[in-house]
Amino acid sequence: MKFNTIIIGGGLAGLTAGLALLKAGQKVALVSDGQSALHFASDSFDLLGYDAQGQAVTNPLEAIAGLDATHPYSKVADVAGTAAQAQQLLAEAGVKTTGEAKANHYRLTPIGVVKPTWLTVDDFVTLDKPDTTPWKKVVVANIIGYLDFPTKFIVAGLRKLGVEVALKGFTTPELTEARKSPSEMRATNISHVLTDPAVIADVARQLSEISAGFDAVLLPAVISMKDDANAKLLKQQVKTPLYYVATLPPSIPGVRTQTLLRNRFIAQGGIFLTGDQATGGKIEGDTLKSITTAKLTDAELEADNFVLATGSFMAHGLMANYEKVYEPIMDLDVDYTGAHKDWSEYGVFNAQPYMQFGVATDAQLHVKKGGKVIKNCYAAGAILSGNNRVKMADGAGVDMLTALQAVKNILKK
Amino acid sequence: MATKTQLESKSVFNFEQCLKCSICTVYCPVVAVNPTYPGPKQAGPDGERYRLKGDIFFDENLKKCLNCKRCEVACPSNVNVGDIIQAARIQYSTHKPGLRDRILASTDFVGTMANRFAPIVNMTLAWGLTKSVMHGTLGVDKHRTFPAYSSKRFETWFKREAQAKQAQYSKQVSYFHGCYVNYNFPKLGQDFVKIMNAVGYGVQLLEKERCCGVAKIANGLYDQARKHANINTSSIRKAVKEEGRPVLTTSSTCTFTLRDEYSHLLGVDNTDVRDSITLATRFLYQLIEKGEIKLAFRPDYKRRIAYHSACHMERMGWIIYSTELLKMIPGIDFVMLESMCCGIAGTYGFKKENYPTSQKIGAPLFKQIKEAGVDCVATDCETCKWQIEMSTGVPVENPISIIADALDVEKTIALNS
Amino acid sequence: MDNELKNHYDVIIIGGGITGAGTARDCAMRGLSVLLVERYDFTNGATGRNHGLLHSGARYAVTDQESASECIKENMTLRKIARHCVDETDGLFITLPEDDLNYQATFVEACHKAGIRADIIDPEEAKILEPAVNPTLTGAVRVPDASIDPFRLTIANVVDARLHGAQMLTYHEVTSLIINQGRVEGVKLRDNHTGEEKEAHASLVINAAGIWGTLIAKMAGVTVNMFPAKGALLIFGHRVNNMVINRCRKPANADILVPDDTVCVIGTTSDRVPIEECDHMPVTDEEVEVLISEGEKLAPSLATTRILRAYAGVRPLVASDNDPSGRSISRGIVCLDHETRDGLAGFITITGGKMMTYRMMAEVATDLACKKLNIDKHCETATTPLPGSEEKKSEETLKTYSFAQKAADGRHGTYTKEIKEDDIVDDALVCECEEVSVGEVKYAVDNLHVHNLLNLRRRTRVGMGTCQGELCSCRAANLLCQSESADKEAADLARFVDERWKGMKPVAWGDTLNEAQLTATIYEDLLGLDKVASKEGGME
Repeated sequence: MKFNTIIIGGGLAGLTAGLALLKAGQKVALVSDGQSALHFASDSFDLLGYDAQGQAVTNPLEAIAGLDATHPYSKVADVAGTAAQAQQLLAEAGVKTTGEAKANHYRLTPIGVVKPTWLTVDDFVTLDKPDTTPWKKVVVANIIGYLDFPTKFIVAGLRKLGVEVALKGFTTPELTEARKSPSEMRATNISHVLTDPAVIADVARQLSEISAGFDAVLLPAVISMKDDANAKLLKQQVKTPLYYVATLPPSIPGVRTQTLLRNRFIAQGGIFLTGDQATGGKIEGDTLKSITTAKLTDAELEADNFVLATGSFMAHGLMANYEKVYEPIMDLDVDYTGAHKDWSEYGVFNAQPYMQFGVATDAQLHVKKGGKVIKNCYAAGAILSGNNRVKMADGAGVDMLTALQAVKNILKK
Repeated sequence: MATKTQLESKSVFNFEQCLKCSICTVYCPVVAVNPTYPGPKQAGPDGERYRLKGDIFFDENLKKCLNCKRCEVACPSNVNVGDIIQAARIQYSTHKPGLRDRILASTDFVGTMANRFAPIVNMTLAWGLTKSVMHGTLGVDKHRTFPAYSSKRFETWFKREAQAKQAQYSKQVSYFHGCYVNYNFPKLGQDFVKIMNAVGYGVQLLEKERCCGVAKIANGLYDQARKHANINTSSIRKAVKEEGRPVLTTSSTCTFTLRDEYSHLLGVDNTDVRDSITLATRFLYQLIEKGEIKLAFRPDYKRRIAYHSACHMERMGWIIYSTELLKMIPGIDFVMLESMCCGIAGTYGFKKENYPTSQKIGAPLFKQIKEAGVDCVATDCETCKWQIEMSTGVPVENPISIIADALDVEKTIALNS
Repeated sequence: MDNELKNHYDVIIIGGGITGAGTARDCAMRGLSVLLVERYDFTNGATGRNHGLLHSGARYAVTDQESASECIKENMTLRKIARHCVDETDGLFITLPEDDLNYQATFVEACHKAGIRADIIDPEEAKILEPAVNPTLTGAVRVPDASIDPFRLTIANVVDARLHGAQMLTYHEVTSLIINQGRVEGVKLRDNHTGEEKEAHASLVINAAGIWGTLIAKMAGVTVNMFPAKGALLIFGHRVNNMVINRCRKPANADILVPDDTVCVIGTTSDRVPIEECDHMPVTDEEVEVLISEGEKLAPSLATTRILRAYAGVRPLVASDNDPSGRSISRGIVCLDHETRDGLAGFITITGGKMMTYRMMAEVATDLACKKLNIDKHCETATTPLPGSEEKKSEETLKTYSFAQKAADGRHGTYTKEIKEDDIVDDALVCECEEVSVGEVKYAVDNLHVHNLLNLRRRTRVGMGTCQGELCSCRAANLLCQSESADKEAADLARFVDERWKGMKPVAWGDTLNEAQLTATIYEDLLGLDKVASKEGGME
């Protein structure tokens, strides 16, 4: 099977690259080995939340200009333009967001911490400043028995911002029925219940009642897994302004983003190889000719160009054993140092060295093997080396911007 | 230090590769509608650690798993969640299947009897009274439309009408037709023979074919399933090793069972022939890609078709073969449906206790299909066909039948001779 | 729990390990008024950092007959009085090709002499009994080893001591002893939560502080020389083996593999460490390497099994000679009457021994205490079942339990019935790996001295499973949340996540590193816990 470009990895980076390539008229296949890290995402897309010293960033574009040359952003030619393109691409797929690259706003985390961010999905809590909210009195409303929304931390976090907060629980017979499962009362399970218009109406009526006289009602993100229709429907029916707050995983806004991007990719004619794993690549000289997969055992997938967007350790784009860190598909060159004792350090919240490990790339994002550049294979997203996404809050930005840059590099040829 | 120590980056114990990320639970169709099912994470890798501690931790609710394997497709860590659950049922379940389950599981035996009395059986199955008796005493849901039984088995047709002609082809394949083709819908088998012959391949039956056993596994009849697996595997081995013929199928579930469930669940080793068992659409696509065969289609064939990704098709990762083949038909307006389970899961949806769950699971898919405004739905699974036809009224066809229908036979024969 | 101190106690026991808890129980059962003080949490020291092996005594049979006899006696006793803490697995002593098979005969003879049943079995039979065992074994002996959960055992003693009127205070640290005219009359305490200073008075003070007992003795102006021997262990992701596997040779590094609840544990190493390091003992790479390479010899599949974490404890051995490893020091019980030994009245030290023989140690110490207090009561701890072990549930009863109740039954025994299931939220799972429900968390908080997540983990197994607390840490923290500001709870959560990482760090490759990255993604990226984490560091 022959394609213009084959993408390995079906998360935010891979799908971003895929959509951009389809837009350029390419024939694209995407090999996806299981679902992506979007399932652990917040309600926001970060560009750069903190600088190398851990200071909160107010203007990401300015701060990016000051980053080390090892940071993946150094390989993105036009950060501002590419960021705008990324936001546009999300919007086209139905992921509506607010925010801008030149000025971070703030998101509210599931434990009530305020963090700087770039884009936030519509209808979620956003703050213009890190220490104030637009409200005097809010209700935090949770479904009785839903454990993945740490209400007491949220309430405490809001109070620190000077807001008067009331904590209220509610349920419906359908949600109580769902609670019969000791383990499966997750955000995504609740969202299955909240597809019935009658249940949504019941929830809306209760929320209106408990939030009467308050400025806003905050609800965990437990509705609208596939698109934002039900979330909007509920918001419309509640008399008090309603905002959603991210929860512990699985993440509703993350799953929604994944679903919308994937569906658009397929609708635009992309071939999405679900649940298949790239197992190897045929490299001739400086060119990757084809890849093999676990399921299409006798078909070689050929392409002019390849994008490697398989993620970091938790997505198995990188692997580590007792002796070494390696890239499992083609054994590409990996930027890492030392023996396993050096990969991490005590103090869980210290900057962990392993977070920065990734495949080595040249300035055009080409991967390398044995020190030699492979001129038609580009890396994008979390598999890149040089940034610590949990410390710098730059994950989504690196995913999308490096993917778009890789596409530009492919199309330029 | 010993050289191999901890050099695997993953545990060799598959259930231990689980990172507890809970992604599988997002895609489990049962958990979405039935809170009494513990969910794939709990029933699979979480429960497995406890089952190693003692049998007491086995939960009969595991039988509510559809075995759709969507958890495995979703898992980013390659945990065989569905296999872990099914293997636990085989190892620990003390539940004895009742009469209803035995009947539902015996697709071949019931089929043999039904073919003989097809008109009577079909009429009987259609009668409201019979349905309510089955609902009440047997526990087969009264809403179910039983698949009609054909009056002539595929094998009978093949031996009488087709077999003699097959020898003329220089290239040969074996066909595992499955119970559905044999007893309910011989036309699919006939369509398959028509296409294969047109591209210059002769078709042979296996020496002995038994039901692939998927329904027996689902209903807890593991010993019977293992017997069938042994008979089928040795017939397949004979075809592959002695006759040099690949074994083709037209059912995704039979294919999946023959290739993967035999070794993973029943302990029947088929590694030497596994790669030679393939789906007809995959076989055809690969020959076309290699330039070894060509298909020609009727210019007057015009249809809007939506493709439904059957669960086991998705698990095998072979959807691309069927869809790309369908897209080759110039007159097809192709729609790809978002992949989701239809809810039938073989015999699962036939059981009275599962009917509401089954229909709830399928509801979003049915909505999609109704909104797609298509002439027909294409899918590689026969039980999806029953479920979708019953629940939407939209006709469902196997891609092989669609191709056979669109095929310009004369021209194709000419192109391939 | 009652924090109000009485004016006077018969005995104050220092140390909330198994020895202290066991002594508190024995004293209380004999009618003494008892105060137990522990500077951190129960089981914080060596009690919570060992194999969880219910020795048959076979390991010591050749080198230390006295310990071996004590072990087998207590082994049989604990099976009766602490049945909910014991998993009756039996054990194998295997001989490998590089071991001397002649040792087997010496070993079996020594076992028999100590009263330990030891049956030589065919290596083939051993492979059937325990499929995980190294298949190249040349000999096998079956002995009545078992596994025992030290957290449960300790807390059962705590609960029973309390039922008999004892007062138990965790997070109360002894800052000095009150000594008057050659007699210890009580202790000065600091409440480690509030910083408040207190005094408690008693006729007798019993030093049961394990390795830290040497520091308590110093406060009293007497000398108890201890030999702190560090032992490192690894926890694997599941029960690879269902029988204890030992090497049939002289005790050495990493030669015991014990199935403990849902995991298995390989250990140990043995190295002398300075007393100052005993509060913080990271496991070194060298120790990890020894444990893995030796462990593989017992069960080859350990080479490809996920390692969840590494940890280390300190054996409270009493120094006697110049043995650099401490392996040849007797595991025998040491009970010091400081009145006769040092001329200091009102002060007893109970130390040495092993977790296994804690009840015997408690009996010896309590006998001495009773003698000094002129109380004539006999010890009944060997025949009275601990709370939770009153009766054995039938399989039929267990079958009616929910999954989480079955798991809880292994932790709380008969007290599982106390776990509320009143409302629909109570059976919701907080920890999915270890099947801990909201109801069980509530039960532990109400009854089992839970002040923080670490305490909760030791009482229930929250956060001890495959993922080491990926979601449950946060869920549980929210359940424990009491204060309006939640600052204390956020700091506790951060400390707990760090404590879990501390054990994962030495084995952070493969699935464990993947898991660590996922956990960091959730707690740092998504939640921002690092932004509110307390900078001051944990107290344990």
